[in-house]
Amino acid sequence: MSVGHHVRVDRRSGSHRAAILALALAFGLVLASGLALHASSARAQAPGSAPDAQAIERGRQVLYATGGCTCHTNYPGEGEAAPALAGGRGLETPFGVFYSTNLTPDRETGLGGWSQADFVRAMREGLSPDGQHYFPVFPYTAFSGLEDGDLRDLWAYLRSLPAVKRENRPPDAPFPFSWRATLAGWKWLNFTPLVFEPAPDRSEAWLRGRYLVNAAAHCGECHTPRTLTGGLDRSRWLAGSRDGPEGELAPNITPDAATGIGEWDAADLVWYLEMGLKPDGDDTQGLMSEVIEHGYANLPRADLEAIAEYLATVPAIGNRVRAAD
Amino acid sequence: MTRPSDRSVLRRPIRRALPLALAIAMGLAGAAAVQADHHEGAVALKAAEQIAYRQSVMSIIGTHMGAIGDLMKHGLAVPGAIETHAKLMAESAALIAPAFRARVTEGATDAKPEIWTDWTKFQTEIAEYEEAANALASAAASGDPAKIGPAMKALGGSCGGCHKPFRKPKEESYKNK
Ligand code: HEC
Ligand code: HEC
Repeated sequence: MSVGHHVRVDRRSGSHRAAILALALAFGLVLASGLALHASSARAQAPGSAPDAQAIERGRQVLYATGGCTCHTNYPGEGEAAPALAGGRGLETPFGVFYSTNLTPDRETGLGGWSQADFVRAMREGLSPDGQHYFPVFPYTAFSGLEDGDLRDLWAYLRSLPAVKRENRPPDAPFPFSWRATLAGWKWLNFTPLVFEPAPDRSEAWLRGRYLVNAAAHCGECHTPRTLTGGLDRSRWLAGSRDGPEGELAPNITPDAATGIGEWDAADLVWYLEMGLKPDGDDTQGLMSEVIEHGYANLPRADLEAIAEYLATVPAIGNRVRAAD
Repeated sequence: MTRPSDRSVLRRPIRRALPLALAIAMGLAGAAAVQADHHEGAVALKAAEQIAYRQSVMSIIGTHMGAIGDLMKHGLAVPGAIETHAKLMAESAALIAPAFRARVTEGATDAKPEIWTDWTKFQTEIAEYEEAANALASAAASGDPAKIGPAMKALGGSCGGCHKPFRKPKEESYKNK
């Protein structure tokens, strides 16, 4: 497995709605006990000591590596004037519309009351400070692989943002997808924290590329097709999805020559992630243009080359992604 | 048309005039037919060709971008090439409005109907594109890589400035059906 982490894939057939409903009921109890457990966990407030400027700057780089967390900025609704990372952006999925949350340090509506440990747990385990499961539209499946230092720096950066008061919105999703208890079942099926296996014969750049692609930049969250239960289909890693966030079509980026980007060389990919321009001169649309502009394009050249080096080695999978009718 | 009172006057020359009149009438009818062909009839008949033409105009622009990309990303030294591509792109801005003026929304096209409901904005985007292409030409003439990169990025951004409001997204594109 190129991704280098343990795989637990569900291939159950039948209506996924029914499956999820059954799971939801089965796991409601599990959640209830989970809630009780987490509610008691102490939430220490990060005391006055301001994070140092270097950590904030490193955190900004981590933010770029994630693509700028642009899902948390409501560009479609408010244009470039949208308050950065204050949430409220509707993300369309096959299971309903989910709204991104406020990541600014506002005490009431944002992360102002969180500790660093709360943040790390949200990113690694997909759990809120009071033990609620996050909808997997928040890609903790990938972020669980982030290194401790990167998480600390990213937290320092988020703390440095201007606080914006903006209430989070509940999802517009039908039951049971709107019900967080369902998520315990979803996680059991589809979530294994990302752990990178040692790869001693690979270059530093390759290892860095693997880390960026699979953890920070979470390319697979958009580019990997999903299973019936909405989990990532790890047997078709990066082979393209027509169920990307906001209903977008994300192409196959495996090195398959006919249906993927096998014809692109490393310079083409680096240029693409820097400029948003494809080898044929066409520009980039949708969320990809945002994650490039607010994220990847700001990374050091060496990181982009590392991404290119790693991507050229993932298994080539033939899969032409077509629009749904 | 001859009125009854004119008959006596016109009777004699009418034989010679008839073929002429017919010729004129046929000419007019023919012209009218051609006219019609340029209006409703043509829209159906020539819609596919209209679309193909405006897509060719876009492909030319895209190919220049691809060529500049080839030069820059592989560090190829072809003296004057980036500047010339950029100038040709600026000049090709004049092709866009005429290519899109006819409102054709059905068929193998990614053009959004908003082009024709907001023609003024469409033209503003053409002007932005032209300006960005000229700026790249100047940057390339200066030979300063620190200016060329950002100018190229800005030119790429001007494509998006028009594509976002006026070109259908990938998931609706005729190319992915
Ligand atoms: C938020 C969702 C999202 C993330 C994250 C994302 N992509 Fe994309 N990507 C897209 C979408 C949507 C497109 C289609 C845009 C277009 O073609 O105009 C795309 C297009 C591409 C293309 C163009 C492929 C082609 O055939 O035209 C490449 C290459 C690419 N992405 C690579 C990456 C890499 C590498 C990463 C991670 C470093 C990544 N993407 C992360 C959504 C995403
Ligand atoms: C003023 C508006 C406008 C500008 C500026 C513009 N485009 Fe386009 N472009 C369009 C529209 C509209 C379409 C869809 C045309 C159709 O399918 O009928 C399109 C389509 C395209 C296509 C696909 C053509 C096809 O064969 O389907 C390419 C490639 C393209 N544009 C490249 C570019 C590039 C590169 C730039 C910038 C350097 C650019 N365009 C600037 C409006 C624009």
